Amino acid sequence: MTKRRIIGAVSFALVASVLAAACGGGSDSSGGDGTPKKGGTIRILTSGEQIAHLDPQRNYTGTDLAFAGSTMHRSLTSYKYEAGDAGSEIAGDLATDTGTASNEGKTWAFTLRDGITFEDGSAITCADVSYGVSRSFATDVITDGPTYAISYIDVEDYPGPYKATAEQQTAYDKAVVCDGNTITFNLKNPVADFNYTTTMLTFSPVPKAKDNGEGYDMNPVSSGPYKIESYEVGKALTLVRNENWNAESDDLRKAYADSIVYEFGLEEATMDERMIADAGDDQFAVSEGIQPENLQTIFEGDEAVKARAIDYYDPFVSYTNLNNETLSCYEVRKAIYLALDREALRKASGGPYTGDFADGFVKPALALDYAKATLPEGLNEDGSANVEAAQAAADEAKTKCPDVAARAASGLNFYYPDTPIWQKALAIWQDNLGAIGFKIKPEAVEPSQYWPTVMNPETEYDIARGGWAPDWANASTVIPELFTTGGGFNLTRNSKDADYAEFESLVNAARTNLDRTAQGKQWQELNQYVVDRLWALPGTFLKAQSIWGSKVGNTFQWGPFGAFCFGNLYVK
Amino acid sequence: MLLFITRRLLFALMLLLAVSLFTYLLFSILPADPAALTCGKNCKPEIIAANRVRLGYDKPILEQYWNFLKGIFVGRDYGTGAAAFSCPAPSLGYSFSQHECVTTLIARTFPVTAYLSIGALIMWMSLGVGLGSIAALKKGKWQDKAATTFSAIGVSLPTFYIGLLVLFSFCIWLRILPFPKYESPFVNPGAFFTTMILPWSTLAVLSAASYTRLTRNGMLEAMNEDFVRLGIAKGLQRRTILRKYVLRSALVPIVTIAGLDFAALLGGAIITESVFSLPGMGRMSIRAVVESDLPVLVGTTMVAAVFIVLANVIVDILYGVLDPRVRAK
Repeated sequence: MTKRRIIGAVSFALVASVLAAACGGGSDSSGGDGTPKKGGTIRILTSGEQIAHLDPQRNYTGTDLAFAGSTMHRSLTSYKYEAGDAGSEIAGDLATDTGTASNEGKTWAFTLRDGITFEDGSAITCADVSYGVSRSFATDVITDGPTYAISYIDVEDYPGPYKATAEQQTAYDKAVVCDGNTITFNLKNPVADFNYTTTMLTFSPVPKAKDNGEGYDMNPVSSGPYKIESYEVGKALTLVRNENWNAESDDLRKAYADSIVYEFGLEEATMDERMIADAGDDQFAVSEGIQPENLQTIFEGDEAVKARAIDYYDPFVSYTNLNNETLSCYEVRKAIYLALDREALRKASGGPYTGDFADGFVKPALALDYAKATLPEGLNEDGSANVEAAQAAADEAKTKCPDVAARAASGLNFYYPDTPIWQKALAIWQDNLGAIGFKIKPEAVEPSQYWPTVMNPETEYDIARGGWAPDWANASTVIPELFTTGGGFNLTRNSKDADYAEFESLVNAARTNLDRTAQGKQWQELNQYVVDRLWALPGTFLKAQSIWGSKVGNTFQWGPFGAFCFGNLYVK
Repeated sequence: MLLFITRRLLFALMLLLAVSLFTYLLFSILPADPAALTCGKNCKPEIIAANRVRLGYDKPILEQYWNFLKGIFVGRDYGTGAAAFSCPAPSLGYSFSQHECVTTLIARTFPVTAYLSIGALIMWMSLGVGLGSIAALKKGKWQDKAATTFSAIGVSLPTFYIGLLVLFSFCIWLRILPFPKYESPFVNPGAFFTTMILPWSTLAVLSAASYTRLTRNGMLEAMNEDFVRLGIAKGLQRRTILRKYVLRSALVPIVTIAGLDFAALLGGAIITESVFSLPGMGRMSIRAVVESDLPVLVGTTMVAAVFIVLANVIVDILYGVLDPRVRAK
């Protein structure tokens, strides 16, 4: 063969392979109407480089919990896989029901279902669940995960299964008891909603023989309808059907798709364009998050595109912590709140798509626990500042609490993460408070150090930005966490407030109330209690936006997580 | 020549040691606490303290550096008891945010960056040297003007702009190519090519612009040299003069710069990899910066330094090949 012919043949082959690659791809399911059907590949697009943690005991963010929980990791209980308020109700998952409380909520027992298996076909036993929970105690290895098991379970000084002595392990086994198929948790204190706690993947089973500690994050064993086929950080995670998943043992997961591919590292600007274009494989894809500059195009443009997008409440609330030790005067706190131009602050962080003005710290998604709170008199509903009312409160403070008023006039330490958005917000704060004679002393903190800084009891802030999402669909993970001394995230330093003792006893009563509906009413009242005292300033009920391809069904946003119910998406 | 190479390699080794020490010390004085970064939402001081000990961050900084250096030759162990694990030699540490040994991460991401760099190098050298040669030979004519204009535009446009423009044009508006989704050339050569053609072209356009100008100027300068006039006077063919004398002379500085540019790319074409979603070292480095993942930062900086130093050595050796005067020295 001549040189010219060889080159020609190679060139032809190259072009042919390019064309084949360009025209190939796409999922193998047939199209159709909205009826869920089995088959096809769902794609999830993200700019993230990986799932933060696939290890069930380390998994802690909303989207990751929704993904891992609906595909790979079953827990004792789970939220119902439904849209709206029903999605915040719990049901038995590995357990036959939502558990039985006794001993006034200090003891909780769950009976495991029959036919539950790991991906290798071996039966999931009580010991596997107990072992999984015990891993969360090894906080030096199992990092980043929820620590509720450590806080709640009645065992002291248990370092986890990797380092425990025989005595320490025995102590744990007395607190978490296996009796046949029944696992019983003995708690330090009554926890009325422990069956909500068990929705977290902390309570997922792990086979001890397959546990490789730090490395388990990359190859966890599945107990759900999907298992890992391949996982490459920065590229993709591919899940395929777990043939050993017993559908009859699982009332919640439908596992319509044959496979789910999580594509990592995508450029954010192009992700939106791809989803808008809705071509090729992107018709079978979902994308979490939309760039602010594209929101108007998607929600106010083509109706066909708008029909494939959703603007919804995510689990987060943003608010402002006030140091109630230095700002111990209600009139000063009220003056600050009324002086704020909340609309300007919302614009600075992205506009109305960022969220709605909050009326408290419990979001409407917690349906049983939410009631619209009454806000301080004078607060404008449209978010604009009420300078006159603010000035009146500031003037009243000069008489009632001159020291605190003087502190506000001389300069309040304002801690904020040093980001472009917060630099804009700072200017608004300075301007708004300046209008009533208060001053701000800004303290910019490097973003990754912000939380460790403000959570340090030695840090002398007067005002510090706050944000929180409930760890499960119960305000027991909001009000106590944010406003009691035992809470993990109380930055209000309110323990010296005259009303704190009463507040704390009301909180304890709510926490131990096994009547969920009555408990919800108590949380509503406690939310109002905090708002009435302005220990913190309600900010925004944050929103998020998502978009999906035209051939994806079941795209509701799952309330407790603010994410898709990934495992139940289907290809139309 | 052998002595020359040996001296250069020894010097390179000393330089790398100095870079490793400087890098390690520099990252160690950053405000980010690596122990705190292994801890999430419910981080408590006692957990941070325990992690600091487990990861060896409680030791004096020089001891930490020594352990890092030792790890390159003998590997490194982490943790104790049932949760112990190790990174085999050459160990550059362990990334607790990506849950893999840094060496493994680099071994996986480096080929992507290498393919990107090699393809781009071939394209930009072909394009840049080719256009520059034409511009020099057709000085003052429309070919020269076109090449100069291309050069001016190319050096003015930022990488992300060209990258997004080609991505949007070919993948969204015209739909000629699928969205980039990296596949190894040994697994799926077709997908590899369709993924890489756009980032190659992006980098090539940017770099070719400056190489066009360099080549043009270098050739014009060489064409005015006495040895070229002598060659013409002796009756040598124009093609021979251009190839053996003019271009070769012009290539000397271009080889230097190309070597350094290529070495810099091997450290990670950050913007190009991000725009085209390529899982290369550049993107990994950016993630490490954002997450303050110090082991990855140190590892990728070291690898990038190795390439720069090696590139300098290779360029020096190539100088000797291209320029007989250097060999004679």
